[in-house]
Amino acid sequence: MSTRRDFLKTTLGASSLLAVGGVVPEFLASTARAAEKEDKKKDTILVVIELTGGNDGLNTVAPYGDDLYHKARPTLAFGKKEVQKLDDYHGLHPRMNELKRLYDEKRLAVIQGVGYPNPDRSHFESMDIWQLADPKRGHTSGWLARSIPGMSVRDAGVPGMYLGNERLPVAIQGADGGVISLADRASFKLQLTGNQANRKALIEDLNGEKDTGKADLAAFVRKRQLQTYTSLKKIDDALREAGGSGQGRTNEFVGGRVVQRDPDDLNTLSGKLGLVGRLIQKGLGTRIYYVQLGGFDTHSGQAEMHAKLLGELSTSIGNFFNGLQAEHSERVAVMTYSEFGRRVKENGSRGTDHGSGSCMFLAGSQVVGGLVGKHPSLSDLTDGDIKYHTDFRRVYATLLDDWLEVDSRGVLDDKFEKLPLIDRKKKAPAGSGPSKSNNPLPPGALPDDPTAPGAGAPPVKEDVPPPVEK
Amino acid sequence: MADALSSDLTKVDPSEAWKPWKPASGEWNRKWVSHLYRRAGFGATPAETDKAIADGLSKTLAHFMTGDPDAADRLELLTETGKYYTEPVNLRVWWLYAMTEGGHPLREKLALFWHNHFATSYAKVRSTKLMYEQNVTIRKHALGTFRPFLLDMSKDTAMLVWLDSNRNVKGAPNENYAREVMELFSLGVGNYTEKDIQEAARALTGWHHDAEVQKFEFNRELHDDGNKTIFGKTGKWSGEDVVRLCCDQGACAKFLVSKLYAFLVSETPPPKALVAPLADQFRKSDYDTAALVKTILGSRLFFSEHAYHKRVKWPVECALGAVRSATGERVPLADVVDPLSKMGQALFAPPNVKGWRTGTDWLNSATLLARNNFAEKVAVGDWSRNGRGRPPQQFGFVAEPTKIDEPKPVDTASAPAPEAKHDVCTTIFAANPKDVAAVVTQMSTLLYGEAAAPAQVKKLETFLLTPGPTAGAAPVAPKGPKPKSKGPTPPETKSADGTKTKSEPEPKPKKAEPPKPLDPKDVKLDSPEFKARVREAYHAMMCLPEYQLN
Repeated sequence: MSTRRDFLKTTLGASSLLAVGGVVPEFLASTARAAEKEDKKKDTILVVIELTGGNDGLNTVAPYGDDLYHKARPTLAFGKKEVQKLDDYHGLHPRMNELKRLYDEKRLAVIQGVGYPNPDRSHFESMDIWQLADPKRGHTSGWLARSIPGMSVRDAGVPGMYLGNERLPVAIQGADGGVISLADRASFKLQLTGNQANRKALIEDLNGEKDTGKADLAAFVRKRQLQTYTSLKKIDDALREAGGSGQGRTNEFVGGRVVQRDPDDLNTLSGKLGLVGRLIQKGLGTRIYYVQLGGFDTHSGQAEMHAKLLGELSTSIGNFFNGLQAEHSERVAVMTYSEFGRRVKENGSRGTDHGSGSCMFLAGSQVVGGLVGKHPSLSDLTDGDIKYHTDFRRVYATLLDDWLEVDSRGVLDDKFEKLPLIDRKKKAPAGSGPSKSNNPLPPGALPDDPTAPGAGAPPVKEDVPPPVEK
Repeated sequence: MADALSSDLTKVDPSEAWKPWKPASGEWNRKWVSHLYRRAGFGATPAETDKAIADGLSKTLAHFMTGDPDAADRLELLTETGKYYTEPVNLRVWWLYAMTEGGHPLREKLALFWHNHFATSYAKVRSTKLMYEQNVTIRKHALGTFRPFLLDMSKDTAMLVWLDSNRNVKGAPNENYAREVMELFSLGVGNYTEKDIQEAARALTGWHHDAEVQKFEFNRELHDDGNKTIFGKTGKWSGEDVVRLCCDQGACAKFLVSKLYAFLVSETPPPKALVAPLADQFRKSDYDTAALVKTILGSRLFFSEHAYHKRVKWPVECALGAVRSATGERVPLADVVDPLSKMGQALFAPPNVKGWRTGTDWLNSATLLARNNFAEKVAVGDWSRNGRGRPPQQFGFVAEPTKIDEPKPVDTASAPAPEAKHDVCTTIFAANPKDVAAVVTQMSTLLYGEAAAPAQVKKLETFLLTPGPTAGAAPVAPKGPKPKSKGPTPPETKSADGTKTKSEPEPKPKKAEPPKPLDPKDVKLDSPEFKARVREAYHAMMCLPEYQLN
């Protein structure tokens, strides 16, 4: 009850500013920016990266110090010299130098052994379970969609946004009007036939009319109308600045080979994250951004594809944070997940088959960096799969309660023990933080080509089985 | 005649507030007719407005209470046809049809209210048949009495699925329904204890649906027939008793009345004392909804500034209101379904058991944009022909942003006029307006039921008088300043002059100055160019609070 009243009060508090007369979206945008400075602590943002296809957790966070790993992966395992070492046992995939950097800066949590009971090895079924956050699948709306009604969103912001051209992911389905899809630009575009500019001007002009000074409903609607146009403009601007050749289709496999796109291409992960970064810096109120990176279903010839994908993931996340100004960077957390991990033992085609249990990453300045949970034992397997020990909903619950400030119980129907992932008081460690040296780069630009052989990372092994090292 | 109600809601005398309004001569006008039609129904067509004014308030209200003379026949037909839909989209169209053509708008309006009250979603129920049946039950009780309604809803199959009733068994009660029946359906937070819920859950054990998920079935085996204590009363209570005990609570009438007040009167929370007489009446009548609604809709408070424009239109009200006020002919209702869900109100699919978040929560950038875009559809008459859908919009992430905004050089005159039967101009020009001012008056009468504010009228007239840019002059560089952008100086002098003299913005490549308004004498009201501008102005007017508020 009181929330709505308070909400109305706070939203309209600044509306007397409109009394100035003329309607200038820029003016609104600047008040939005001002408001944002005050509120930024509250307006935390979660960027979710779905790794579609079942990411091989074992070669993402490799237990290189374990003989069993090398035994199970004669052609795929990484040796001591290859991994991005986290400690004497764990190493990140060789290509993930940017994530290693974030790890060293204590801005990356590596959550191990994540899964759920009675794992399903069907892509579709398991994706549903992760996205509904409900192994029983009683829900039909996604966990993020369910969190939206309880989420506070500044101004007229759209709470959730999906960037991509697939069907809206289940995780954000079911929040009518709370989520927009930037693939379907037509759905977030003002449709005006005839003389668009004139009409838009007329609507803004009419809505900028008379501020009676009263915090009434009509003033609220007028303000919302203008804010909507401001949001549209921000999104359009952000898209325009994206540059990108705009060529090409969805993902990056052509004839079994990875095709690298222009890094600003909005069909790539880096392009999408670059766009997310620009939207965040423009002060769009959106709290949840959802993007996908596909191609993780590596049944054969895994080494090359997996390297490209994880390289792209790592570089994109690194650049994303580099491109954000510090004050924005502080309120962003990036989470990755996949529907399942893969079998411990590699198959006969130098690939891996569907398994269960995997790892998740959580990156951000206020993320408590480090390894979370033990690496699942490779000697105690179920049906050839590692045993999970951390229910993924514990990660969700932590993000909901500690980051997005939405009651996790209402979203997940149950209370899940939280993980020590978030520290809202944390300052960026001295000497690190959004690295200044990289800042001049336009958002989305790549400092180096992640796919160039050996670019900042050891080369990916091709055929030669590694010597077993300890 | 009684004194006017105080303009301060806290000072309004509750005993005066709910007395029937007796409009003095001339007071029963378009403004209040439109108000009544927006609240009691889904907006008025021009013909309905005329008739209501001629009939007077009490006859109009009586008509709302009973519906058209053939409403019963139509209901029978509707109920029959609804059985056959297997796709949610069709069921939605069916209900929209019932709202607009069922002959009993008030019943449908209350059905919409109760759908939100007993919010159940196809998203979990996964059966159009069950959603249809629940809708029929809701319709049956919409203007009936609450006790049998609550009982029927407690046994409704869709509801049983929705709230996991089959998991509620002796020895392992599932409290889902017991909680919602108290928190959301009858009493509201604070009017029960956790213990009441636990005990009520026990009483409701065994209220299941059958294995085929077709109907209610009482499972005696799984019912806990021991003693329960609910609201301090102890007995071997059954599910029926839970319903009865809830309805016996004093909080029940207050809770329902406050929700109905927000739906029919105002979303500004009223002082408790103001709604007390309504709660009394509701309770004494043993929850006669029709009588309560009639009291509200005929009251002095309802026809006062305390109610006028004091709600944000629900998307259904927004969409159907636009359709009914503006287009003489029926539009393809299938075209309304998708916009409704973009506006945040997919029928049969409220977000959760609490229902839609209403009021100002209806409006965010995405939903308001959807309202703008639907208004555009109405204004330009962009409906699918003969129910045939149009090809889907281009889809794709790579949308070449620069191209998107570059307005194509538009030759308004050559834009095809919509089919006459869906053209707002047909309605606007039906009264044969003599000049531009009369056109604006007619538009605002249709949309708002009253004249637009003078300053708005002026801007609208200027817009109508200003010819659109010619093919060459149209595009303003997407990033450049708006052609109208002017300092916050004199709000009155709109249009060309200000722009030109003042800010003469970026050095635009040798563009001719923006066109100036024509002399009203030089405007041909029946020219295609003018009509195109009328449609555009009509759209703009739907993007104002005067239209968005109810």
